[in-house]
Amino acid sequence: MNVFELNSITAGYGGVPVIRDLSLKIAGGEFISMIGPNGAGKSTLLKIMSGDIIPGAGSVHFNGRPLREYRPRALARMLSVVHQAIETRAAYTVREFIRMGRFPHQGSLVVEADSDREVIEWAAETTGVGHLLDRRLTELSGGELQLVRIAHALSQNSRVILLDEPVSHLDIQHTVMIMDILWKLNRDGATVMAVLHDINLASDYSGRIIGMKEGGIFFNGEPGEVLRYDLVESLFGTACIVMDNPTTGRPFVYPVPGYIK
Amino acid sequence: MKTPYKIIIVFTVALVLLLVSLSLGTRIINPVDMTDIILGGAGSADYTILVKLRLPRALLAMVIGASLAVSGTVFQSVLKNPLADPYLIGVSGGAALGATAGIVLNAGQYAVAAAAFAGSIAAISAVYLLSKRMSLGSSALILSGMALGFILSAAVLLVYALSRSDQIHRAMLWLMGDLSGARYDMLGGLGGLTLLLALTVAAFHKHLDVISLGATFSKNLGVTEGNIRTVFWIASLLAAISVSLAGVIGFVGLIVPHLMRNIFGPRHLRLIPAAAAGGALFLLASDTIGRSLAPPFEIPVGIITSFLGGAFFLVYMIRREAGR
Repeated sequence: MNVFELNSITAGYGGVPVIRDLSLKIAGGEFISMIGPNGAGKSTLLKIMSGDIIPGAGSVHFNGRPLREYRPRALARMLSVVHQAIETRAAYTVREFIRMGRFPHQGSLVVEADSDREVIEWAAETTGVGHLLDRRLTELSGGELQLVRIAHALSQNSRVILLDEPVSHLDIQHTVMIMDILWKLNRDGATVMAVLHDINLASDYSGRIIGMKEGGIFFNGEPGEVLRYDLVESLFGTACIVMDNPTTGRPFVYPVPGYIK
Repeated sequence: MKTPYKIIIVFTVALVLLLVSLSLGTRIINPVDMTDIILGGAGSADYTILVKLRLPRALLAMVIGASLAVSGTVFQSVLKNPLADPYLIGVSGGAALGATAGIVLNAGQYAVAAAAFAGSIAAISAVYLLSKRMSLGSSALILSGMALGFILSAAVLLVYALSRSDQIHRAMLWLMGDLSGARYDMLGGLGGLTLLLALTVAAFHKHLDVISLGATFSKNLGVTEGNIRTVFWIASLLAAISVSLAGVIGFVGLIVPHLMRNIFGPRHLRLIPAAAAGGALFLLASDTIGRSLAPPFEIPVGIITSFLGGAFFLVYMIRREAGR
């Protein structure tokens, strides 16, 4: 069954459409990356899928039911979102922050039940932040914070995860750590959809790449099909060369310095 | 330090402070004699001062301090602004206009309190509806609260300009915060209501944790706008009740939550009780200082809290600059 089904949706901010007549199906267990130039509508599409933006036209179905029919807590139990940045970095401890992912699962008087503790510890272990549980968010490095945010998302639910630029601004060690975590979760059955700015990470890790341009889907397919130099060049307006990555066998895109179309 | 020790310390400080507060004033009563005075029964001047004046006043100070601090804690989290306080959204401006109008019209104590409460609720509703039209963003709320605050204080000054001087003095004393109207009947009903509201908002401690991390974050965890509305209105009611009983007492709702967050951390399960205790102690101490600094004159408690609050703010800003 399709986890997401979007039918000719149009959406935007203050009457200006950012997404125009877009349709998309996502099956359970897929690993999808979304790439495209700034302002193409990638984040907006993710917000439509997480229910943060209600499209002006068209329909969004999640697990076969219209998204807006879900009660907020019920949806929160089935869908985790990692946004670009949290708005405030308060002095919560890592454990307290990961525990907030249990919020939609808990009764109002429960602080941390045994079942919660198991999930929190599993999430911390999966993301390798077990040693940070007693530290405060304000004390973490950018890479550590991003791992903790993914642990928070996992303690909320580990079946369907949407991520907006989860590895931007991180060093390559944390980038690979996070992409590996997502890859393993996907191998264990999770549906993962991530907005990425790095075409080559998208190529190495995902089963399907969606290229977005001007509020619509420009291409949509396996990395080997869509990462052709002519398609990437017209998606981003640059000149580039595509070769194979010797470690993964997936396409690797090199932009050519000095050539902007 | 472990939490149980912190609780023991808070209770000890509270007890000592209460005794000091009951003892100080124009007439100093030795705490050792207090049991004798109380057992001696009504009739002595000391009994009247202790049981009929100082005790209800100390209790009122604690109730008001606690509810202002709890209200401030909630507003800081809902507005995601560590410098927010209940007065920022028009609670005090509306109450001031209502109370001033009541005093100028020669209304009695309860009518003034009722007018202040009505003004407060009207102002909050206006701010709420205005910001809702701008989709309830926290900056829209703060900005419309500030704008309305200017209009309301202009209206208060207009009432002053048009009234006689003896009434203006009474109204100004109200504006500076005044706990001298404390009586047991008022404490019973409103103290109970305040406790109920504080306990209700404390039951939302997990919601507040999530809300304090941002609108999208809390929405993705299933917190609804209805939840946010609920805590917003409970906090508003707490502040409105406090202001209508004791006038505009500034800074309690700002510095106490701030300090408690630094000491006890941001989790509301601990923060709300800590703020309640801290607010109660802070206002009791401020009122005791105001009563005993220059007897027989009483310095209105709002002046003391504003002095202390302003000083705290400067120290805080200097420390923050130095910490960079």
